[in-house]
Amino acid sequence: MYLNHFEYYAPRTAGEAFELVGRLGDQAKVLAGGTDLMLILKEKLIKPQYLIDINGVKEFQGIAYAAGKGAVIGAATKISEVEHSAIIRDKYFALYQAAGELGSVQVRAMATIGGNSCHASPAAETPTPLVTLRARVVIKSAAGERQLPLEDFILGNRKTVLGVGEILTGFILPEPAPRSASRYAYIGLRNAMEIDAVNMAVNLVLEDDGRTIKDLRLVMGSVAPRPLISAEVPAILVGQEFGSELVGKAAAAAAGEARPISDIRASAEYRREMVAVLARRLLQEAFDAAREV
Amino acid sequence: MNSRNFSQVGRSVPRIDGPAKVKGEAIYTDDMVLPRMAYGKIKRSPYAHALIKKIDYSKALALPGVLAVITGEEAPNKWGIVPQTANEVALAVHKVRFHGEGVAAVAAIDEETAEAALNLIEVEYEPLPVLLDPFASMKRAKEVRIHEEAPDNILHQAEQLFGDPDKAFAGCAYILEKEFHTSYVNHAFLEPHTSLASYDPQSGQLQLWSSTQVPHYLHRQLSIVLEMPMNRIRVTVPAVGGGFGGKGEASSADFCAALLSRKTGRPVRVTYERSEVFATNKGRHPCHMKMKIGLDKDGYIQAVDFDNTLDGGAYAGWGIVVMFYTASMIHLPYRVPNARARVRRVYTNKPTCGAMRGLGGVQPRYAMECMLDELAEMIGVSPYELKMKNAVESGYRSVSNLHVPHTEFKKCLQTVVDKSGYLEKHGKLPFGKGIGLAGGYYISGTAYTLYLSYKPHTTVLIRLDTEGGVTLHCAAADIGQGCNTVMAQMAAEALGVRYEDVHVVSGDTELGTFDLGSFASRLTYASGAAIKEAAKQINDKLFEVAAGMLGCRADQLEVKNCRFYSTFEPDKTIPWEKVVDVYTNTVGTLTGIGHFSPPRLKGIDLSRGARVQGANIGHSPTFGFSAQVIEVDVDVETGKVRVVKVTEAGDCGQAVNPMSVEGQVEGSIMFTLGQALYEEMKMDADGRMLNPSLHDYKVPTAMELPEIDSTIVESYDPTAPFGVKESGEGPVQPTIPAIANAVYDAIGVRFTELPITPEKVLKALKEKKEKEKQ
Ligand SMILES: Cc1cc2nc3c(=O)[nH]c(=O)nc-3n(C[C@H](O)[C@H](O)[C@H](O)COP(=O)(O)OP(=O)(O)OC[C@H]3O[C@@H](n4cnc5c(N)ncnc54)[C@H](O)[C@@H]3O)c2cc1C
Repeated sequence: MYLNHFEYYAPRTAGEAFELVGRLGDQAKVLAGGTDLMLILKEKLIKPQYLIDINGVKEFQGIAYAAGKGAVIGAATKISEVEHSAIIRDKYFALYQAAGELGSVQVRAMATIGGNSCHASPAAETPTPLVTLRARVVIKSAAGERQLPLEDFILGNRKTVLGVGEILTGFILPEPAPRSASRYAYIGLRNAMEIDAVNMAVNLVLEDDGRTIKDLRLVMGSVAPRPLISAEVPAILVGQEFGSELVGKAAAAAAGEARPISDIRASAEYRREMVAVLARRLLQEAFDAAREV
Repeated sequence: MNSRNFSQVGRSVPRIDGPAKVKGEAIYTDDMVLPRMAYGKIKRSPYAHALIKKIDYSKALALPGVLAVITGEEAPNKWGIVPQTANEVALAVHKVRFHGEGVAAVAAIDEETAEAALNLIEVEYEPLPVLLDPFASMKRAKEVRIHEEAPDNILHQAEQLFGDPDKAFAGCAYILEKEFHTSYVNHAFLEPHTSLASYDPQSGQLQLWSSTQVPHYLHRQLSIVLEMPMNRIRVTVPAVGGGFGGKGEASSADFCAALLSRKTGRPVRVTYERSEVFATNKGRHPCHMKMKIGLDKDGYIQAVDFDNTLDGGAYAGWGIVVMFYTASMIHLPYRVPNARARVRRVYTNKPTCGAMRGLGGVQPRYAMECMLDELAEMIGVSPYELKMKNAVESGYRSVSNLHVPHTEFKKCLQTVVDKSGYLEKHGKLPFGKGIGLAGGYYISGTAYTLYLSYKPHTTVLIRLDTEGGVTLHCAAADIGQGCNTVMAQMAAEALGVRYEDVHVVSGDTELGTFDLGSFASRLTYASGAAIKEAAKQINDKLFEVAAGMLGCRADQLEVKNCRFYSTFEPDKTIPWEKVVDVYTNTVGTLTGIGHFSPPRLKGIDLSRGARVQGANIGHSPTFGFSAQVIEVDVDVETGKVRVVKVTEAGDCGQAVNPMSVEGQVEGSIMFTLGQALYEEMKMDADGRMLNPSLHDYKVPTAMELPEIDSTIVESYDPTAPFGVKESGEGPVQPTIPAIANAVYDAIGVRFTELPITPEKVLKALKEKKEKEKQ
């Protein structure tokens, strides 16, 4: 299992990194944690001539939070840092949960949050809660910067909008609404090291009465080529008082929206059923949590 | 020395190999680099069944850095652990029979060049129809034949009849008949097969380092394939990262490394990728079993009828042995007065099945323990009561002639039931929670060599002098099960010294004296017997010298805690090393040699072909036992089964190293839990494996580890050296049926097919609901 021969660059500044990706173009690949890239190199699915290691670029790393404004997470921030960040746990609980479920301790120490979205596996852990939390991505190149919602960044299995010369530099997470809570869960055979058969995140905002749903986002992973934002669940629940009958209806609607496939991990039928189970559970958990804040 | 007053046996000392492994300093075969070493790689077939029309490796040979290429025709001699059925070759000759079978091998100056060279080898195939299911294989045998010499696509089939089961069934009050299917699983040991060969063209000597469980059988196979006398070959076993049966035969890594080394005159190392471990498999046989059990009105088993079709994959391997074991395993640990077994091991175009921890026992045990659970319900008694009633006791001899000199099986059942609160919980837990009970046993010490020789199975040489202290030589292979540690403990016990004082030289066919290998839970028993004999010779000599020094009679001396002392005058005592010093100075180095041959059973005549029914397999000088109570939580919405707690009690005889026993028990449970719930090799219609990686082949992780409460029950087999039995394979047996019985208790569904996946659970729950509606 040998990699093809490539030239290795380790830029120290964002400027150097942009210059390199711009100059080397599609012959180059950005190397973050390498936990996806090394595998596809070994499988010889791609044979880049250059690797640009962005781990040395400080500007791409770290978690910054400003009260009332939200958080910015650098793309090259390790998953383990996200998992252990007090602020992420406090404000963006679903992301904290997802980060803790990605791979193993060893993988989380290497893998980056940006790599997880750039690799764009339909079964990926963190895009689901990030989309739920309305994350926007920051994309930069030597020419400038653009921002867009994460759901518009991921196009499908291993496809993103990243153009030649561009690097994903970070995620912007808005300040959570008052009386809101987010929750994440996945379905897989084991309780660790799973490629999710289904995953899901819910962000739920309550009115001041603590019963009526003011706003809601439910996103499903691994049941479509990219994170699937439910249209029907908010339509059923927003403006309504939370209740098990409506939740059941919403869960069934989510299952109807899912577009799963069958593979060696699970059948489409099972996946669809699990969407309903997760939706019921997460809506309840998020509701209970939102009442407490 | 059949006293239980031990000081070294029964000590929970840390493993001899522990510190180096924990520090990452242990040397595995793949860590070894020799001067001028080349790297070997094997080209594998992309077809599961095909004729090889042509192999052109001229381009590979022309690649700079490539030293040699070999194909099957250069070493066509057939090898196999069972000589009567040997049908494997180092590399395929004319035909491939499974996807991933080796067709050529390359040696190059580095691994990268070797890998590149494989892509330059051009092989022309003529694909043949692929048979993946044993029933289809038997049915289509006329049209598609996997081996010329097996016209039915059957390696072997047999029928065994003991008593009159048909008559017995006619008189039974309760009869249950069911089918069970087990899955296609691999050992998933951490260290892939690796072999490093160094052939010296001047002397004609071959040295091979290999990750193997069976240095001796590997030695024999090398001799056959390479056409070299055994005394020109030396096999050494460095640290081994697990075997579980999967390294219980030679692998083509061994042959290719050796052949390439001989061809290039340089050392050659071949290390498998994980995908190659799966491609060459030798894991557990999927079994398609029909079992019928009849009880009289009081719940006593009257008859068992067993029919088993084993899916063997492409080659023979351990197949015939596994097949006979499945037939043999129905005779214990319950009394079965009448039995019939019809078994057949069928060829399919899949990677070959072989030996896997608890070989031949796990599948029939699953069927039998689940059926007894169900029968108990039919009668209206607790499964515990039914199993206790039928459990064997010391001195039992089965109708198939298995003799159990000693057992504490009932104590195992009792212990787990008491400790887990089984009787209070069973049938009374809320829907989704369940508790299940199962028992099991395994052989210990084994019966005969696979090549039908009467030579001793283990020889131990103990060497003693002032300079080296005590050195124990034995070619046994410590593959992580801890035989080096327990051999040192038993030798220390027998010599009256401390375990820390014994050096063990093992895993080497030249430095170590003979041993058959690490399989069939034989080593503690076998080496224990040989150690006792060797130590006696040493003690006899030392006692004479000590007696002279102390001024008393040798037969009045004892040795313990590194001192000789007189039984009658305890103040007459002298340190052990002083006596050794005197002996060495006057006579020189002292050695003792001990042998172990399993006791022969009357009526077994190997020269006439062992025609006594059941005599060919399953006989063993003693047996280890285990019982388990397993508690599960079933998520009735997702179908996920979570094993919450395992209560285990085992009869391993005298535990030589209780800490090691606990490790074996916990390892056994996790090993088998994976097969019950997660693990399965999956293939597409062409026989290509879909999940040949540990990412997709799901062994349990630390997160699946349940609470395990294990007990070593008080036990001592008076017929065994130091009272020992086994603990590495008995505790494997009850896990699957205990889980299945617990799942039944939780949701009222009996699963007869493995693994019990969430999808199957959910489907079954739905079907159950539908039925209840009607
Ligand atoms: C054993 C194992 C278990 C795993 N388990 C999980 C799991 O449970 N859940 C899960 O979601 N994933 C899992 N993964 C996949 C992987 O760890 C994650 O997707 C991880 O987040 C990838 O990040 P990385 O930094 O390692 O990316 P890399 O491998 O370095 O890069 C991945 C891709 O993204 C590109 N890229 C990376 N960063 C940038 C950037 N800033 N700008 C532009 N392009 C970029 C790279 O060029 C490459 O194409 C597992 C992987 C392994 C090996």
